[in-house]
Amino acid sequence: MKMLRVYTITFAAAVISMGAGSLAAPCLAQDANTGNAMSFAGTKHVIGLQGLKHDVKGTLSAGDGSLVFTKGKKKVVVPAASIQEVMTGKDTQRTIGGTVGTLSMFAPYGSGRFLSLFRSKIDTLSIEYLDPSGGLHGAVFTLPAGNALGAKKALLSQGARTSFPVEAEAAAQAKPKEKKQ
Amino acid sequence: MKSIGYLSALLALALVFLFTGSTATAQDKAHTKTPASAIQILMIQSDEVKLPIEFQLALYENLIDQVQKTNKFQHVYRDGDTAAANAAGLVILHSNVYGFRKGSEGKRQVTTVAGATQIKVHCLFTDQAGKSELAQDVTGNVRFLGGNLRATFDFAKKVAQIAVTNFQ
Repeated sequence: MKMLRVYTITFAAAVISMGAGSLAAPCLAQDANTGNAMSFAGTKHVIGLQGLKHDVKGTLSAGDGSLVFTKGKKKVVVPAASIQEVMTGKDTQRTIGGTVGTLSMFAPYGSGRFLSLFRSKIDTLSIEYLDPSGGLHGAVFTLPAGNALGAKKALLSQGARTSFPVEAEAAAQAKPKEKKQ
Repeated sequence: MKSIGYLSALLALALVFLFTGSTATAQDKAHTKTPASAIQILMIQSDEVKLPIEFQLALYENLIDQVQKTNKFQHVYRDGDTAAANAAGLVILHSNVYGFRKGSEGKRQVTTVAGATQIKVHCLFTDQAGKSELAQDVTGNVRFLGGNLRATFDFAKKVAQIAVTNFQ
């Protein structure tokens, strides 16, 4: 009986720490209005930047008229003036992902499936930019929830363009979904 | 004894048909391959359905990655690339999304059978003058493992395979 209680408490602690971990996602944002560089740690490059693997985590920063994605020693720079479109969105992802998440699918008694119910909210940031020869590129990033609009604002302050202003996008995202009849 | 003779004649006839049939198919395939040394991939359009921009960009980027990996073409040009105008033997790939169903990764992992993401795209290969070389509908799916954007990878792999099969 005592053992069961210990297991229950340990499980509850694990679930709480998992949730708290996802809430305390790292972000080093500064004020966009001052023109200072803003950086967003814990950004995942999903696809699109040249010379960088897919699905790698790094730091996205906007400053000195460009977007910079840094992953360890690798650095990809996109001039903000070449960015034609910046769009944000919302999504969710598994709290326990990657290889561990995949392997957990084979855990006994459906416990892996149970784990996949734990999901954390993320923001998506998509950009379209042109290379020097006029070729169109697209890049997709995911950021910790609540950071995409800040990143968009920072990019626009550096000279990027968009067809959908930040205020309109914020209003569209804040609007509650209509209930199905 | 008579039946054995009849059977062997039938078998020989069948073998002859099989051989000539396979040769004809191989010749047909060789004939249908269109010569192309470069390809330009245009941005994915979605006139009929509302496609989230992250899917549109992931389709485009995965398509370029996968076509480059085939090593079938000397050059793979992006949409708007000025160098493509002077390229010889250029084919242009136009893609238009006509069906999109965004599934749910959570549902897929919990139920296995529900929550699939599906993207249906009409692909059209043309020459520089706009003459149609090949048109085909391709569907990208993700049914079990992976996020929703994995459907774009599935689509890109299929299109790259089509390019390999139809162009030389």
